[in-house]
Amino acid sequence: MTRQVLKKGIKRGIHFLAAVCFLFIATAFSSYAADGTVQVQLDVKKAGPRAVESLTERGVLRDYQFAWTNMARAFEFSSPDLLEGAFSGDAKQELRQTVSSQQRSHITRRYVDQSHQVEAVFYAPEGDVMELHDTAQYQLQILDGDKTVHDEHVVVHYIVLMTPAADRWVIRELQAVPQF
Amino acid sequence: MARLLQFFSILSLGALFCGVCGAQDLHAPSNVTAGEDVALPTSGSGKATFYLAGPGISQKNDVTLGEEIRLSGQDLRYAGDYTAILCSDTCHTATFYVTAAKPASVIFLVHPSRVPVGQNDAVSGVAFPFDQYRNLITVPENVNFQLSAKDASLWSRSIRTQNGVAWFRANSGKSAGPVQAVASLDDLSAKRAVQQVASDPCNLRITGQRTPNGILVQTEPVHDCAGNVVPDGTIVTFTATGPNGKGTVDAPVKQGIARAKIESPGTSVISVASGVVMGNEIRLGAQP
Repeated sequence: MTRQVLKKGIKRGIHFLAAVCFLFIATAFSSYAADGTVQVQLDVKKAGPRAVESLTERGVLRDYQFAWTNMARAFEFSSPDLLEGAFSGDAKQELRQTVSSQQRSHITRRYVDQSHQVEAVFYAPEGDVMELHDTAQYQLQILDGDKTVHDEHVVVHYIVLMTPAADRWVIRELQAVPQF
Repeated sequence: MARLLQFFSILSLGALFCGVCGAQDLHAPSNVTAGEDVALPTSGSGKATFYLAGPGISQKNDVTLGEEIRLSGQDLRYAGDYTAILCSDTCHTATFYVTAAKPASVIFLVHPSRVPVGQNDAVSGVAFPFDQYRNLITVPENVNFQLSAKDASLWSRSIRTQNGVAWFRANSGKSAGPVQAVASLDDLSAKRAVQQVASDPCNLRITGQRTPNGILVQTEPVHDCAGNVVPDGTIVTFTATGPNGKGTVDAPVKQGIARAKIESPGTSVISVASGVVMGNEIRLGAQP
């Protein structure tokens, strides 16, 4: 009787461990996938008048990648909450408006296979604002419900203003331009 | 040879004609300014679905081919890239850019809010011109920066924006007091205030006297090297060296003067310092 209870307990423990392992692997895989689809290369050599410290460079790279990952998901799932944290000010307002417009029209966008060649062109003397030039390439898909109405590989030039917040860099301005 | 040419000419014309009369098409405007109404000409006949995806907008409308599709300025108020799609049997796409309108505001950041006088490159400012829809204006514009105190201009410079930003760095002035920093573009301006404060103390001098309870020492009015009174709260350190050893008292400047009471019964040498600046020494005899 006691043995049976013990066996059951061991079985349950193994199942629990397996479930935990599965969840852990699934989470790890999904974060890899989310990061893997947004490739960002940042060049800070031409930034001025203030030089960009390597720690700042890493932070900007990480937060810019995070912002695009979340923006793509916000547009794909028409979920404005995904814009929290990575965007601020006018950029956030504009993106939220895009998402709410998507919700009304049932149109969604997907930014697939993103690749960003980013160059820091201005870093304010006091380090409170950085301007980036991003040459972004991605497959832009526009869907009306489940129907794809547009699917095209595009190269878009973005002018970006980022400012430091409490624990990260946030995008305050994200504006596509014909050329730099 | 002539027949061959004739055949190819007819073939080309036919292909061109069929291209025009066949499927629907959409023509993108070449130059659009934010907030302007735009008409997109279409060709073909029958009904179609029109989609517009851009910054701040995702819309879908039923349209009639061959008629213009009118987009209101309100739908095109954000600068950026727009994708217009016209779907009937197949979908046709046209992309266009909306550029920022004329300047309507200047975002001006100035640092620091308090600055000691006589410092090189101590004040900096950054200005970004925006249009009325809060689009960054990336075409070069001249921004005039000016620093002034009591209606007297201390420094001014006209700087052309590059990639939508103009910036400056300037020395702080000689006198303590408020300085106004202004960035102006055409008839637009943004103002910020910088408080110039005295720099480090200079020519620190003290006097002292014995009292029944010890030694009372005080500074003469503490100024920086340009003659500005140092701000209240600046810490002055008095050090007394006597037969019993060394004692230190920190005292804040109040209304230009720092005072301290030191208990040192024997003959004492009192010295004074503030930050890295040393003052004079005084010697006082033992308590009678």
